[in-house]
Amino acid sequence: MKDVLYAGILLVSFIVSAQSVWTLYMTLYAWDRPPSEGNAPDHFREPRLSFTALLPARHEEDVIRGTIRRLARVNYPPDMVQVLVVCSADDHGTIAEAEAEIESLRQQGRENFETVIFSDGPVNKPHGLNAALARATNDVVVIFDAEDDMHPDIFDVVNTVMEEEQVKVVQAGVQLMNFESTWYSALNVLEYFFWFRSRMHYYAKVGAIPLGGNTIFFDRALIARIGGWDEKILTEDAEIGLRLSAEGERIRVVYDHRYVTKEEVPPTLKQFVKQRTRWNQGFIQVLHKGTWRKLKTAKQRRLAFMTLIFPQGQAVLGVYFAFSLFTMFDLKTPVLVAELSYIPVLIVLANFLTTAIGLYDFTRAHGLKATPSAVAGLAIAWFPYQLVLAYASLRAVRRQWGGRLDWEKTAHVGAHRDSAADGALGLDEVRENVA
Amino acid sequence: MSHSPAGNTGFTSLEPRSTARMTRGSTMDSARQWYYQRGKLGTFALAFAVISGVVTHSYHLFDYPLYETDEGIYLERAWAIIREGRLSPQTYVYDHAPAGWMFIAAWVFLLPGHFEAFGNPVNSARVLMVILHAGSTFFLFEIARKFSRGGLLAPTIACFFFNFSWLAVYYQRMALLDNVMVFWVLLSIYLLLREEVRLFTGLWSGLAFGISVITKENAIFFGPAIFYLLSRRAKNDSGDSSRDFTLFFWLFAASSPVFAYCLYATLNGELFPPDMSFNLTHTHISLLYEMWYQLHRNQATLFNRHSSTPFLYTAWLPKDPFLLAAGTVAMVICILAGWRQRKVDPALLVAGLLAFGIAFYLARGSVILDFYVIPLIPTYALCIGLVADRAFKSLPDTTSRFLAPVVCGVVAAFLLLPPGGYLIKHGSSGQLQAADPYHVPLTFMQNEQIAWIRQHVPPNSRIISDDDIWVALHDVKPVFPYDESHWNAATDPQVRKIFGGGQWQDIDYIVLSNQMKAAMQLNNTGGQEQWMLNALDYHSTPVWSITRGSVSLAIYKVQNLSG
Repeated sequence: MKDVLYAGILLVSFIVSAQSVWTLYMTLYAWDRPPSEGNAPDHFREPRLSFTALLPARHEEDVIRGTIRRLARVNYPPDMVQVLVVCSADDHGTIAEAEAEIESLRQQGRENFETVIFSDGPVNKPHGLNAALARATNDVVVIFDAEDDMHPDIFDVVNTVMEEEQVKVVQAGVQLMNFESTWYSALNVLEYFFWFRSRMHYYAKVGAIPLGGNTIFFDRALIARIGGWDEKILTEDAEIGLRLSAEGERIRVVYDHRYVTKEEVPPTLKQFVKQRTRWNQGFIQVLHKGTWRKLKTAKQRRLAFMTLIFPQGQAVLGVYFAFSLFTMFDLKTPVLVAELSYIPVLIVLANFLTTAIGLYDFTRAHGLKATPSAVAGLAIAWFPYQLVLAYASLRAVRRQWGGRLDWEKTAHVGAHRDSAADGALGLDEVRENVA
Repeated sequence: MSHSPAGNTGFTSLEPRSTARMTRGSTMDSARQWYYQRGKLGTFALAFAVISGVVTHSYHLFDYPLYETDEGIYLERAWAIIREGRLSPQTYVYDHAPAGWMFIAAWVFLLPGHFEAFGNPVNSARVLMVILHAGSTFFLFEIARKFSRGGLLAPTIACFFFNFSWLAVYYQRMALLDNVMVFWVLLSIYLLLREEVRLFTGLWSGLAFGISVITKENAIFFGPAIFYLLSRRAKNDSGDSSRDFTLFFWLFAASSPVFAYCLYATLNGELFPPDMSFNLTHTHISLLYEMWYQLHRNQATLFNRHSSTPFLYTAWLPKDPFLLAAGTVAMVICILAGWRQRKVDPALLVAGLLAFGIAFYLARGSVILDFYVIPLIPTYALCIGLVADRAFKSLPDTTSRFLAPVVCGVVAAFLLLPPGGYLIKHGSSGQLQAADPYHVPLTFMQNEQIAWIRQHVPPNSRIISDDDIWVALHDVKPVFPYDESHWNAATDPQVRKIFGGGQWQDIDYIVLSNQMKAAMQLNNTGGQEQWMLNALDYHSTPVWSITRGSVSLAIYKVQNLSG
């Protein structure tokens, strides 16, 4: 019996180690590649492609005006940019704020902004996107979230990339910025950092890419041809990415610190857990939908499967954690078994140290400053953060099994913005609102 | 038509394709500085270096030199891994980290016939040493070639010494941890000199270095030079952060094997000594205690002719004074000239620091054994090659083109022929003969010793012997389970139980060489070997002996009650 237990411990150690090494590899993939591979071009072509920006918003009264103003300030000919603010009919507050800002822009002679109001269900982001897609008229459709700070040159970047490389889908970088807001924000910020800076490039190279939710540019004809977004999936972005990958569509990832779209960390732990639960549940849904099975190569299918199964694996690991505590304090194993079972610990340590270096890289790139106390904060928060992620995974599995498929919205407060400039509420004020 | 974005401060992506290729990975100091096509001539020179190394090291391999005690120790520990699933057949006292004999065990395990694949068990490991030497030669050639900007003179000279020096051939044939360590160290450096030092290249290099440290701990003395090389190669001239990750991963990978070793001690409850006692008058089985003990072991400096182990004068200089003298001078030149040129070309400084690290280790006055010179050989060879290369390059091209082959040819002939004695020397009566490594048979004496034991000694006899025959007596049936080395009988209480806790009356046979008797006397400062010396000197009679030159082997039957 003991031998079976030892074999089990070694098997779990091996699986966890392999998974961690693979994750670490993807996390650092971009740093092992030529820096120019993922960068934006330094010289822009003359604008040729026209863009329709979709701005789905629900209960975003606090931030929507700032986002619209930012879109009005992009460095691209206004007649080549159409902006559609997408709201459900019951969201009177957001509609009022958006229309007020659009009216203000009209008075300044800007006629390229309008709202798209839908009153049918389901009330979720993919349905809103599909509703807006029907109204889009330009060559390229791009999605921004209601709290996004997009770079003014982002259309120039994508126009150049699409023209020069003849690609129809471009995922540009998204970056959470407020790394000092809460105990978990630095870790959340760095997750985004590594995801868009590195892992996305790996996914793109393999050709099985779960796309991000915003700053993603599609050729409008292409997106219309494949039928738009799946409205039953909580992570419609990941699903459409895999669907496009299965079609053999080449997807270009551009991550350049200069042009990232800036976002914020969920303001409260509750919001963070909700957001993560939605993502995890969405991945489970995409896994069950089976789009990944249509990918062309075994490597693509394997990568997609591993990515989509991860939330469930994380949930299992959360349960295993309790068992590992027992084994640490109450189980005497042969030295070799104990030694091998420490390998995952070593790799976790590598992951943590990678994150710490990433913090310095992130802050350096964005003109911020990381301090040793910030690294100490990372170290203290690291383990609780993993537990929160495991909890969110368990919650996602439970919701999926229980048939709870509703959209748990993440509140946005504009903590990544200069509130005076953008009209966002202060962080504390909005925390109170969303609590 | 194009227009530029605001804040154009990032990296260029529109650079010429050839340039883009050379700056790949972004972690290059200057990729062009390190990347050179080998070409047909280079490939030929490399092949010659590797083949000549294999020939000089494998010819007469099983006959010369004598099987060393330490070869036997590592073999018996490899035996323990394969046959008993533990790190040592006796109590493991953390005297050395185990990666070296784990590697030997893995090799032997793969061989058909395992320890007996090539006759005497030590031969199996010696074959591995030849294979590792071939690999080390390849790495040394490539390191020297890249350090000399693609030139072939430096690698050819470096590999010449590495392959032909008697000092090199003598020690590099032996199944010693130092030879395994040198292989890993050279691999670590070689990986850092690949065209592209990418993030994961740093990881593999660090891992190789970490393995070298847990193969033989003195590899740590190469650490500063290798890390300096890494930091230069990972110089961040393109502004991104790959350098941080590359340095981190090297350090992480290098420390992981060391961590695993410390973890092993921790899990066995042997990291700290009992009661945290680091009192050197009491021995403890503890990793940190052993490190503490080793740090406090001192003997007279290497340059003292009257020390108990004057290896510089008795073992090294007689074998190859030229390599030692020229290597020392070249090392100094490399450090001095390298320091001045370090900003444009760190190669000389790195080579000098590599040699200096190990030279410092040897010269600092701690306890050393004769074969500790092994890591010095490739680094001295490298320094000589690089200094010669720079010297000829400083001459006008036409002069250099003529002078280099002539000078090198003359020096090589001098060293290979009787004045140098690398290949041919004068015999005792003045006749020309091959140098000792290719001519003198020695190990047959040890094989005859083993054969005599098998023929005349009952397997249940309690035997004091040396480690070099331990595996031969324990792995081939009938085995001699009560054969133990004098060192273990003196220091390991578990082993001493075989001999009544240290009673000469409980010894049946003593199997030794004149070297072993000297070692027993040297190790008897605390009287721990006295009961065996008493048995040898006062209560035994020789039953077999053989002498060749300065080497004498013998077997003594102890006149005890059971006898």
